[in-house]
Amino acid sequence: MSKAALAQFQQVFIEESLEGLDTMESSLLELDNGGDAELVHTIFRAAHSIKGGAATFGFPEMSSFTHEAESLLDEVRSGKRAIDGAIIELLLRTVDCLRAMFARAQAGEPLNDTVAEALRNELAAAMGRGAPAGAVQARRNVDQADAWTIRFRPYAGMLASGNDPLRLIRELGGLGELTVTPEFDRLPATLAALEPGECHLGWTIELKGPARRADISGVFDWVEDECDLSIDARHVVTEAAPPPAAAPAAPAPAAAAPVADAGAARAQREASAESSSVRVSIDKIDGLINLVGELVITQSMLDTFREGEIDAARLAVLEQGLAQLARHTRELQESVMGIRMLPIASVFNRFPRMVRDISQKLGKQVKLELVGEQTELDKTVLEKIGDPMVHLVRNAIDHGLETPDKRRAAGKGDTGTLTLAASHRGGSIVVEVSDDGAGLNRDAIIGKAVQRGLISSGEGMSDEAVADLIFQPGFSTAAVTTDLSGRGVGMDVVRRNVADLGGTVTIRSTQGKGSVFTITLPLTLAIIDGLTAAVGEERYIVPLVSIVESVQLKGDAVRSVAGGGELFRFRNEYLPVIRLHDAFGCQDAVRGIDEGLMVVVEGDGTRVGLFVDGLIGQQQAVVKSLEANYRRVQGVSGATILADGSVALIVDIAGLVRLQARRKAA
Amino acid sequence: MGKATTQRKGDTVRAISLPADFRIAALDEVKASLVEALDVPAVQIDGAAVERVDTAALQLLVAYRREAVARGQAPAWQGASAAMREAAAVLGLVQALELPATTPA
Repeated sequence: MSKAALAQFQQVFIEESLEGLDTMESSLLELDNGGDAELVHTIFRAAHSIKGGAATFGFPEMSSFTHEAESLLDEVRSGKRAIDGAIIELLLRTVDCLRAMFARAQAGEPLNDTVAEALRNELAAAMGRGAPAGAVQARRNVDQADAWTIRFRPYAGMLASGNDPLRLIRELGGLGELTVTPEFDRLPATLAALEPGECHLGWTIELKGPARRADISGVFDWVEDECDLSIDARHVVTEAAPPPAAAPAAPAPAAAAPVADAGAARAQREASAESSSVRVSIDKIDGLINLVGELVITQSMLDTFREGEIDAARLAVLEQGLAQLARHTRELQESVMGIRMLPIASVFNRFPRMVRDISQKLGKQVKLELVGEQTELDKTVLEKIGDPMVHLVRNAIDHGLETPDKRRAAGKGDTGTLTLAASHRGGSIVVEVSDDGAGLNRDAIIGKAVQRGLISSGEGMSDEAVADLIFQPGFSTAAVTTDLSGRGVGMDVVRRNVADLGGTVTIRSTQGKGSVFTITLPLTLAIIDGLTAAVGEERYIVPLVSIVESVQLKGDAVRSVAGGGELFRFRNEYLPVIRLHDAFGCQDAVRGIDEGLMVVVEGDGTRVGLFVDGLIGQQQAVVKSLEANYRRVQGVSGATILADGSVALIVDIAGLVRLQARRKAA
Repeated sequence: MGKATTQRKGDTVRAISLPADFRIAALDEVKASLVEALDVPAVQIDGAAVERVDTAALQLLVAYRREAVARGQAPAWQGASAAMREAAAVLGLVQALELPATTPA
């Protein structure tokens, strides 16, 4: 099999296995909540498929690791062992570990690490077999080395199956310098006794050169069952320190790792994860083919108008045809977008585990309710909504929900309820994270804000305005900083992440009754609603979500301040002015404040006035990536093509604000 | 070319030419000639024509040489093609087969 073909199968295998791991995890959690025995079979089947696939697709480490878990499950399945909390815990950690291994496989890193090693021993110990002999095991599990000793003894029948050691050893030679020592001990004493079609030779091969175990075992993939093979590292390459993310303090899967953790490897992993494939149902594909068929019919119908005079009667037909074309194009666009739409269940499903872990740690009782799991949203949005939701859920359990005795004191049931709900609302998707906990403590927030110098006093502030304070960077009211939340990184990151997706976060909270965090997101990142602004000869699209309002100002409303900036007064606050023609260097733009328009926009939590010549109208813009077609430009998030065929840039408000701040500093 | 041919030179020297396709399917015949040659004091093996060779073929030659040497004979190479030498090198059998460094003209 060629390398490319194998890589393709590996990718499919990894995706399927990750789904299998999700199944294992959710079944384990159900089992933990008193689910029936059928679940054990489901878990066993998932583990078994992963084991088999891993062996076939060249991940022997993963295969042998899963084998341990499978053996344990087999004992449970056959009733030899009762399932208890300890086993479920162990298996859940196995699932985590396998996920990490798959992540490493995708990144092309060595699969085993110390965590996997320790866990494998734990699994073996749970089976009552104790850890396999340490030294040998360690050597066997080394993934990368400078020199290897390979003992290869084909069974007699190997040649007959068309597998020639000559070819295998030749292939091995591609990995490094070989010293091949044949072994003749199995050769018959007389020539007459030799059956020429049988293999009686064996080899010890010294391989010099940096190679991975997987590369070596890959050579022998097809003859695994037809030979005795041992691969031992002779000279081990010092491996990089294991990733810190493996620490038990990170209960969420890799994607939920802290934002600050930005190693190059992680970036690479993310890149590969984000470029992964999407599964589409046959129905959706058939729908698309159908629509394309309709388009072709309409096109051939319109084609008849190339010839002959167009009279009134034909004109009516033409108009009808154009209307059809418009309808089909729109439907086609919707269907194509639909391909990228996936149910939010894949994000929701990571929470039962997380909620279980966190609530156990904090000694709280939490019931998690999921609503609207089938709500579909764009894959890109889906992949990025996970992190903010993790923050919100952690916060809700840590700060929102109370401990059982506090709940009893407040006259509530011991168990708190955390609800994750998703729904469509117009062109947006709304995700709510709500709890029936203590709600936001107005006095504590105001106290903290005053202490931090964010406000001078809380008098006259509306509840919304107070709630909004928690989105300020570095704001945390938790009395004790835990490793879960309260480090002051949180709500501001949530708001920024959501804003990056073109969405908003709001809070509704009642003291003593609970809080509701509402994330509103666009359905897709491929189309945005925007206002077209004119600046000189150029047209810019300003995303509608970031526009607060637009005002026409008198010439003297804008004041210059020391340092070269300009300010204007807008509803009791002074906002800086960004002249778009200055920022983007447009010629022939309006310069007088009273001749143009001030568009008040919000980005990154700050408001600025964007000075443009005028607003032309509202339109839906299909976003074309500037990064993919040209290169990244600060202050511009993409481009679109206007009805007249000209290109308009889409303004990235947050980027523009940062750009302006840098220019001022320079 | 194809079959192993045995040429009689009196009763003392025998030359065996190995076939161009010297692989598992052709070995029964070659084996027969080699077994027969074990009774002859001097054998010359000609591998100059070999174009394709596999492990089974080289294993056969190794087995033959071992027995021949054990009987006090000295099987000699009349020639060995590049394909044979390369395969023997990969399998680490050059020494066991005592292959000549280059093919005599």
